Amino acid sequence: MSDRRTPTWADDSELYDEYAYGQQQSHQQYGNGNNGYPQQNQQHQQYGQGSQQQYAQGNQQQYAPVDEEQQRYAQQESLRQYAQQAQTRPRAQTTYPPQQQAGAYQAGYFTETGSWRFDVHGRTTSYPDQQTYDTYAPYDPYASYTAVEPEPAPAPVAPEPQKPGYTLPPVQESAWAVDTRRSKLLGRGVLLCILLVQAGLSLRLSGTAFQDEALYVASGHYELANLLHGTKLPVDFAAYFSGHPKLYPVLAGAVDSQFGLAGVRLVSLFFMLGATGLLYSLTRRLFNLRAALGAAALFSVLQSTMVLGNFATYDAAAVFLLALSAWAVVRTDRMGAAAVLLAAPPAALAFGVKYASGLYIPTLVVLAVITAHRHRGIRSLGRGVVLGAGIVALLGIGYYFSGPLGGISSTTTDRAKGTDTAATMLQHSAEWGGLVFLAALGGTIAYTVRARMGEMPWIGGETSGRWRRATLGLVLTGTALLAPAYQIHLQTEISLYKHVGFGLFFAAPLAGLGMARLVGPHFRHPQLGILLYVLTLVFGMVQAQRAYSFPDSTQMTTYLRTVVDKKGTYLAEEQEVPAYYLRDKTDWTQWQNSYFMDYRGKDGKQYTGPDAFRQAVRDGKFDAIVMHGSVSPETYKAVKEGLKNNSHYRLAAVFPYTTSSGENAYRIWVKR
Amino acid sequence: MSFSVRRVRASRPVRALAATLLAGALLAGCSTFSEEGRDQYERGQGEKPGAEGTDEATESAKPEPPYDVRPLLQPAKDYLGVAADGAPAKMKAVEDFAKRAGKKPNLIEFYSAWGDQYEQELVQNSWDYGSVSFIAWEPFETSMKDIASGKEDAYIREYAKSVKELNLPVALSFAHEMNGFWYPWGTKKTSAADFTAAYKHIHDIFDDEGATQVIWVWSPNVTHPMPKVKLKPYWPGDDYVDWVGVIGYYAATGPNTYETLYGPTMTQIRVFTNKPFIIAETAAQAGERKPADIKSLFQGTAKRDDVIGFVWFNFDKETDWRINSGPLSEKTFREQAKNSSFGFDVTKP
Repeated sequence: MSDRRTPTWADDSELYDEYAYGQQQSHQQYGNGNNGYPQQNQQHQQYGQGSQQQYAQGNQQQYAPVDEEQQRYAQQESLRQYAQQAQTRPRAQTTYPPQQQAGAYQAGYFTETGSWRFDVHGRTTSYPDQQTYDTYAPYDPYASYTAVEPEPAPAPVAPEPQKPGYTLPPVQESAWAVDTRRSKLLGRGVLLCILLVQAGLSLRLSGTAFQDEALYVASGHYELANLLHGTKLPVDFAAYFSGHPKLYPVLAGAVDSQFGLAGVRLVSLFFMLGATGLLYSLTRRLFNLRAALGAAALFSVLQSTMVLGNFATYDAAAVFLLALSAWAVVRTDRMGAAAVLLAAPPAALAFGVKYASGLYIPTLVVLAVITAHRHRGIRSLGRGVVLGAGIVALLGIGYYFSGPLGGISSTTTDRAKGTDTAATMLQHSAEWGGLVFLAALGGTIAYTVRARMGEMPWIGGETSGRWRRATLGLVLTGTALLAPAYQIHLQTEISLYKHVGFGLFFAAPLAGLGMARLVGPHFRHPQLGILLYVLTLVFGMVQAQRAYSFPDSTQMTTYLRTVVDKKGTYLAEEQEVPAYYLRDKTDWTQWQNSYFMDYRGKDGKQYTGPDAFRQAVRDGKFDAIVMHGSVSPETYKAVKEGLKNNSHYRLAAVFPYTTSSGENAYRIWVKR
Repeated sequence: MSFSVRRVRASRPVRALAATLLAGALLAGCSTFSEEGRDQYERGQGEKPGAEGTDEATESAKPEPPYDVRPLLQPAKDYLGVAADGAPAKMKAVEDFAKRAGKKPNLIEFYSAWGDQYEQELVQNSWDYGSVSFIAWEPFETSMKDIASGKEDAYIREYAKSVKELNLPVALSFAHEMNGFWYPWGTKKTSAADFTAAYKHIHDIFDDEGATQVIWVWSPNVTHPMPKVKLKPYWPGDDYVDWVGVIGYYAATGPNTYETLYGPTMTQIRVFTNKPFIIAETAAQAGERKPADIKSLFQGTAKRDDVIGFVWFNFDKETDWRINSGPLSEKTFREQAKNSSFGFDVTKP
């Protein structure tokens, strides 16, 4: 028995559009396997409608005393009316009639009355002694009987157009992760938050100029004067710089003249924010939006990213240029092979800005091959060759015009070997980038196993290109190991805390992917993603605070300002710092560094190394001495010996400072 | 349905792997959050490890540069110094001296016993008056050996910090008259080596603390009461001394000219150092010769370029050393002090 009135929504085309479209598709795709699914769904909607109807119409009749006979009659009458309507009214849904699915195995179909009829032409008809009944949906206690009186005839309505006044866009395969306009906007909004957090984390670090910053910015002023006015350079910066002195330093010098050190550091911040943005963009193209957000989020809270974002050295510019190059490589993956040449200028420039960036050029070349392999197959090798040749050609041209660059060998390729052990460096590298590296490793494995996260089961399972995926993952993740490996080879940990960031940039897309997989389909485990992000953030913040800790030179330079003049000679540990801050009062060459010195003593003997410093102090060669002993302890010792029984000098000031490595003090001796 | 089961199974090992790796990373990163790591972080923040407040940081950020005492070491003009009763706690005696001398003194000497704190207020008083303080630091109740061995370091360090904090120039004469036999740190109880070791030790602590405002005075007595005691063994070294503060009085008996009183001592000292002399304590015994002694002191000091002044012991102690012990003395002093080479503005030497 069915005393339910078939709801009118069954004719409502809009409902079909919104809810049933996908089901319809799957219905066609999988045949009867999914039959239970759409029906269930429909019933659910029936309830909704039914109850609405109940309130809308039932109230008037519910308490009216009607006898049973009348009621039955009314039931039948309304049902009949409805069936007539359904037959006569044109249906907007044209896809449903069962005859369309004649070919497919069909266990049932919607009857004209909107209820479900099982297997009409199949099993039931094979028993001729049985009467065939219409099989209705099960009794629904909530669907109440409502219509007692015949409904007034519906007002005449304009005939519905044969075709709907809209067309549905083709539904994309992966409806969850697709780059719809909405998800793009959402992604950019989240990216903006990530960038704001990154900016905040960088800007919270503060301090006076670090030795390297002072060196590059000060040299930038001299290089700028050399370019503009042909002023002779005080020293050949190119001979010992780890990047071309006419590139970043000139920019830094120009910005410093206008906005000071804070301005130069802000430029670095823009570079790093730009790198994060490019990372987001290229990861989205390589994988998907979630991986892109993960990559940007993880990269933005790394120690190296925070530090470099407030650090006036080559590094931020080099990271940005490498990012730009990588982005260009990924962006041009489907274009002609020549298009990849767009990636060559930033890559070559990155090398020029900081020679150590050359370590990552092979990664870019391999990336050019892998990203194109999907579309071109073996011809993608040509793309790599084009990019490699382009970069080499540009570097060749650059070298031809720049002249000898002793700095390349002395700072990068043939750097003096240090004494730092591999174990320490590995441990530190693990602390700085271990989490992101592991996430990238996880991402690589997950990506190799499955190209996509199984969020939509009806999309095909296996995807081809496992080797391609594995190679992409390994190349990008492995790039994170380049800097530590190379520095372990050189046995020096100098600047490693910055250099790990270069490799982690390349590993970040896979780390983002790993994070997305960790969170799982349908954001099943958001807590795992949050855990990874927060851990990276906390490590990053603490480590950045520690790395970004150098002597506060404010008092030292303020005092020296009262002491120095245009003629004196000054010995200073980290002489770049006072030479930079006091460049208006002194010349670069007036400052003697605490590393190397050749000196002919008043006794006529030639001295080098610590002996030279000792003798020069004994002879009273310097007009002021500024030492703290934490950078060149050997020299500090020699200077102290030179000061013994020395009537030339008097301790003039002691300015204590605190850095993460402990308490220390600038000691300034001046001539009596 | 079977699909989702497979999915869960496929991702389970991945997630387990990720969890293991995360735990590994945590272990690897332990030193970031170790005790040492936390100290480093706090120091990086400019805080003292383990400390709650940030007083240290604010103190080190004090913008005032240390007072540069170099111009005071060898000024063009001579110091006119005085040690007077109650000064510089109360400046009445100094003002009285200035009125009688017709000139304000610019160096005020007072005595500080071992164990006394650095009297910032007195130094400030003196500076406000227009004088540099000259403290004779008398190491009673300790020994040179103890000082040199570091037993007194805490006190010395405290003293040095206090000097640095006040940031005003001060002349410090540690264990004066060390070549005499009358003090506990004198020749009878202390060897020259112990004296220099103690002197250097104190100096080193002051340097360590950055108390560069001190003018270091090495202050022997004139040699004639004990001619056998050689001064050179007591000399700490040129890098430890700014002034050689010779002490010698014009007494009723003994040498009574500038040359005979100070000459031999200065000659002996000039063999091993060229540091400037200052007469760290002097006066003339009341008597007929006093005006002549005063004249000798002024003129002898003015004549020698390497003597940068003297400190008049204006006390009535044992005998009346004051300039007003007699009208003629006072008059002579006033006349001699008129010499423009005595007295100068210590803020602009």
